[in-house]
Amino acid sequence: MNFGIWGVVSLVVYLVALLSVAEVARRARRDTSPSDHFLAGRSLGTFVLFLTLYATAYSGNSLLGYPGRAYRDGYSFIMATGFMMSIIVMFHVIVPRLRPLAVHHAFVTPGDYLRLRFSGPWAKPLRLAVAVLMCLALANFLLAQLKAMGDVASVVTDGRISYAAGVIGLAAVILFYETRGGMRAVAWTDAAQGIAMLLGLAALLGWLLTEAGGLAEITRTVAERRPSAVSLPTARVCINWFSTIVLMGLASVLYPQAIQRIFAARSGRALKRSFSGMTFMPLATTLVVTLIGVAAIARFEIANAVDTDEVVPMLLRDWGSAGGFSTWAALLVFFGALSAIMSTADSCLLSLGSLMSRDLMGRAGSDEKATRLGKHLATGLLVATIPFALWRELTLWRLIELKMELLIQCVPAFLIALHWSRLRAGPVFAGIIVGTLFSAGLSLSGVTRLAGVHVGVVGCALNALVAVLGSLWPNADQPRSATPAGASS
Amino acid sequence: MSTRRQRRTVRFACMILIGLLYIVSVPWYRDDGGPLRLWFGLPDWVAVALLCYVGVALVNAVAWHVTEVPDIADGSEDREAPG
Repeated sequence: MNFGIWGVVSLVVYLVALLSVAEVARRARRDTSPSDHFLAGRSLGTFVLFLTLYATAYSGNSLLGYPGRAYRDGYSFIMATGFMMSIIVMFHVIVPRLRPLAVHHAFVTPGDYLRLRFSGPWAKPLRLAVAVLMCLALANFLLAQLKAMGDVASVVTDGRISYAAGVIGLAAVILFYETRGGMRAVAWTDAAQGIAMLLGLAALLGWLLTEAGGLAEITRTVAERRPSAVSLPTARVCINWFSTIVLMGLASVLYPQAIQRIFAARSGRALKRSFSGMTFMPLATTLVVTLIGVAAIARFEIANAVDTDEVVPMLLRDWGSAGGFSTWAALLVFFGALSAIMSTADSCLLSLGSLMSRDLMGRAGSDEKATRLGKHLATGLLVATIPFALWRELTLWRLIELKMELLIQCVPAFLIALHWSRLRAGPVFAGIIVGTLFSAGLSLSGVTRLAGVHVGVVGCALNALVAVLGSLWPNADQPRSATPAGASS
Repeated sequence: MSTRRQRRTVRFACMILIGLLYIVSVPWYRDDGGPLRLWFGLPDWVAVALLCYVGVALVNAVAWHVTEVPDIADGSEDREAPG
């Protein structure tokens, strides 16, 4: 594929536009408090909130990794549409309870809820354990996005910008607009990036369907080339299908950047409307990337499973080689992918800054110093992550898989705690330790599923059991009854 | 008050329906071995899963519509008593 100098020019225009948005966002800020920087002063309306939720939820992995999975697994990867939708369903469990508390107590990070909800000697260890799990998951996610950014920048510019220059340059751009404009800049750029992503995907699928003569023709060709891609899934795949829906639904609602968007909404009504819209987005995104991956089976053969992540670049190479409109359309898809990656990376970075300063270091103030500390920590972490991103041989797959297994261990501390007043800090902390050791231990030793069920889901069940049974256990030292708001604040 | 109760009932019914749609979406109840049948250009079991997910999206949108997300805490939040 040859985008010529236009690839570089388009990239520069795109980055200048992002930086301009950051400047406008900086001028729109009301003060220098953490609430204004990390949550845009809780001012996000329905439209921007919807697009920032969308752009954050769909990462580079959704656009580049999922078509590869669909290419490998065939039509059974339709499960991805279901599990992405389950996330919006699971938000019902936390949003109606967490949102009013967040407004009333001016939460900035998920740890602020834990600070309010739990007390006693185990409250601090619990907050730290949750913060460590969330930071690990986010740092992991950030690293994966940095590596993907370098790849896309190199492809778009036909190698004129090297992988290393792409990682460092784009990380610098993200750092600039994130530290200058905070959540406001992140949300506004996410909105533009979300639109680019949707247009890019629609264009690619439209081309594939037109080329192949329709969906039915694609399915028939796939059935001839690889019958297993269209045949009924086995019992084990069905169990894995259910397990993935549970894992993704439970873990993804605990992404700190997603929780912080609940805090950043202008109103409960804006939040409701955004989630109503978000529930349809898997049909416009995950379903589309699944069909793209399956359609690729009909077009070419990839022998090595690891190379299936190349499905989208290979399709774009075919498409872009026609020249004229096709080249520009292929470029648009690449910018859609780059947008997805950058919007996820910026949200991770912003959340990491606030989590490290408030939840890990305990700097829960509302002054400019707390904001500055968060920015400095985010900068330090990004700089520390870049060498790992430049190490191309580093295999991240296991760590990326671990991300969800770690996050799901925070379920009792939020999902159960919001609905059950008797839950206590000590048992929740013990549950997290048990669940994390179980799932991380098995996962790192190569066991990712037990009878088709993710080890993280099994670990979460053990974790919840410990938390609930421990909270029911009589404890003379600690009263368990709920107290009304304000009684112990 | 009755409106609030009605909303909760509708929301609860939506959640049950979503759960059922998810159960039907996974083809664990189907026997293998038949010829490939296409619905809307997709294998029939994929089309069923997709229809279920369209249903989940619609029902979930209704559930969000009837969900109350207050901006003011009602003062009854659960909180662990200090030990």
